[in-house]
Amino acid sequence: MNPKSFFMAAAVVAAIAFAPVASAAIDAQAVLAASDAVRNPAKPFGVVVTLIEYRNRKQTDTNTLEVYSKAESAGGQYRSLIRFVNPPRDINKLMLKSGNDLWFFDPASKATIRLSPQQRLLGQAANGDVVTVNMAKDYRAELVAEEDVTDGEKVSRHCYRLRLAERSPDVTYDHIEMWIEAGTARPVKAQFYAESDRLLKTAYYRKFQSQLGSERPTEMVIIDGLDPNWVTVMRYSDYAWRDVPDSWLQRDYLPRFKPE
Amino acid sequence: MRQIAIASALLVLAALPAKAADPPSEPPSDAGALSLADETPALKPTSQSWRLFGEGALAHSWLRNPSGSGNEGRATIDFRYDGAVAPQLRAVFSDRLDLIHRGGDLQPREENVNTLREAYLSWHATPELIGDAGRINLRYGAAFGYNPTDYFKANATRVIVSIDPASLRENRQGTVVLQGQGLWSDTSVSAAFSPKLADAPSDATFSMNFGATNPSNRWLVAVGHKFAAEINPQVVLHGGDHTPTQAGLNLSGLISRATVAYIEYSAGRTGSLADQAQGFRRSDRVQQRGAAGLTYTTAFNLSLTAEFEYNSAAPTPSEWQALSSAAPLDALRLLSFAQAQQDLPVRQAVFVHGAWRDLGVRNLDLAAFARLATQSPRGSELWVEARYRWSKTELAVQWQQYTGSTASPYGLVPQDRRAEVLFRVFL
Repeated sequence: MNPKSFFMAAAVVAAIAFAPVASAAIDAQAVLAASDAVRNPAKPFGVVVTLIEYRNRKQTDTNTLEVYSKAESAGGQYRSLIRFVNPPRDINKLMLKSGNDLWFFDPASKATIRLSPQQRLLGQAANGDVVTVNMAKDYRAELVAEEDVTDGEKVSRHCYRLRLAERSPDVTYDHIEMWIEAGTARPVKAQFYAESDRLLKTAYYRKFQSQLGSERPTEMVIIDGLDPNWVTVMRYSDYAWRDVPDSWLQRDYLPRFKPE
Repeated sequence: MRQIAIASALLVLAALPAKAADPPSEPPSDAGALSLADETPALKPTSQSWRLFGEGALAHSWLRNPSGSGNEGRATIDFRYDGAVAPQLRAVFSDRLDLIHRGGDLQPREENVNTLREAYLSWHATPELIGDAGRINLRYGAAFGYNPTDYFKANATRVIVSIDPASLRENRQGTVVLQGQGLWSDTSVSAAFSPKLADAPSDATFSMNFGATNPSNRWLVAVGHKFAAEINPQVVLHGGDHTPTQAGLNLSGLISRATVAYIEYSAGRTGSLADQAQGFRRSDRVQQRGAAGLTYTTAFNLSLTAEFEYNSAAPTPSEWQALSSAAPLDALRLLSFAQAQQDLPVRQAVFVHGAWRDLGVRNLDLAAFARLATQSPRGSELWVEARYRWSKTELAVQWQQYTGSTASPYGLVPQDRRAEVLFRVFL
């Protein structure tokens, strides 16, 4: 996010915080942008994402990833470079995502393969779930309602309920129902849908902590839409500002990535 | 109008304080999932720079011409280190030791081979400028089954433990090179020089085998540029003392959310495969090699690839028929040469690959490929693997088979069928 859009998002957060709750002037798109600013730091950064997957309450898989993200100067959408840290069989595998330009690199075979957005590398989590995304760039938001909803920590939150429709068929989900807390713009809960209106997954944003200058969610709980016993806990740790040069974010850099 | 509707909706909501004050609780299933997350202990992510695994395998092979069979046992240690040894210096070391014992009608009885895949230093002078020195697995190619632009693949494999293209790409020796690369946001230019270090390959267990990877002075230049998210071509030029300049192109693109298309093409003067296998250099002319394919991924994460492969340097079907009937040993030598070069032994083939991650059961993967010679005499090679993954161990079952009459190249392969069970432990 460039400084201009950051200040705009901050202004929107402030406007929402001090506006009458039931104001008709609520700009759903601005609410979504403010929520993006809560989830995503404004400058290039790195974060460690740990995914713990459960089936029928039994832990079935654990993956750890290092994610480096940087917003494009034009357009504002994030580009991300992901390094697989764990399990041992996947160490130093890399994924690069810049919109739909999606590449996978295996250091053992030196193969750099273009992926389609539909290819999943991480079980339940879509590739688009682990990278940094400015939803306001990918989706058109519409205010459906204001309602109280129980968050992931069993606390009632007064939220804007937004319906997000994809701007282009390239994005990870066709449409999303998202609950964003009024006043703080914190994401509380989201339901992700396929084009057929089938519920793919429900996500709760939890454990807000001060990270890189703002209160951000450090855990996301994903519940499968068909099988509620399929649960993935995504934890975010080791947030740090990172210099992410543009040269890192292209296909031919992948064999060059130097783990730190 | 929409704002009025929203305002009306909000007013209606505001007029229902009883409901607003009584927050809807999440469905019971969500509560269970959230309690599960509450119980998940805090994990401290750790990062390591190395990967080490041991693997044991037992296989049984069926032979034909003459018929026979035999068992094979293999023990493997595989190590890879990739880390920063100084702020701007990266070190990579990758090695594999295979100890193989064969019984029955299989030869050779013992095959103990160490493959030093990579050992190099990489100096990141700036984020845009990088230099490398050492043995590097320089691999190019957008295609899945056949990579005509992967110019350093020839003679790079010391021991074939599987005909799976991914295994062939992984378990091979790199080439000793000096390399420089410039990287910008959308462009990459690299140049590599591979000097002659030895004359002939070596079978000694711990040989560096420079005669296979550096038999002559060679060079390679690769240029890639991203014109748009979907168009990112790469041009590769390769040549050397005994290698006329070859020009290659790699291009891939997204057709839809689920489909990737790719094309790989190489052209340049070379001898025919038959002449090269016999050691003749009499018929150098422009040969064209190519592969083009599509990969489609279903909603349930099954990825299917169909690839058309072409090699003008390979014998025509009638040449194969004539060779295999008149000089079967020469035909077998040609096939063996093509395998060492990792070149396509037939003019045209269709390669089909499938990979299904989490096949019904979490952590159970299925992968398979078939390569079919599309011109008569037809023949095929087939490989199937089912693999179950635990956190640090894997168990896999593999089957490979060659079909076709002895007039077809795949029918000539002495090993008709092979079944293998392997167990891998990561340390």
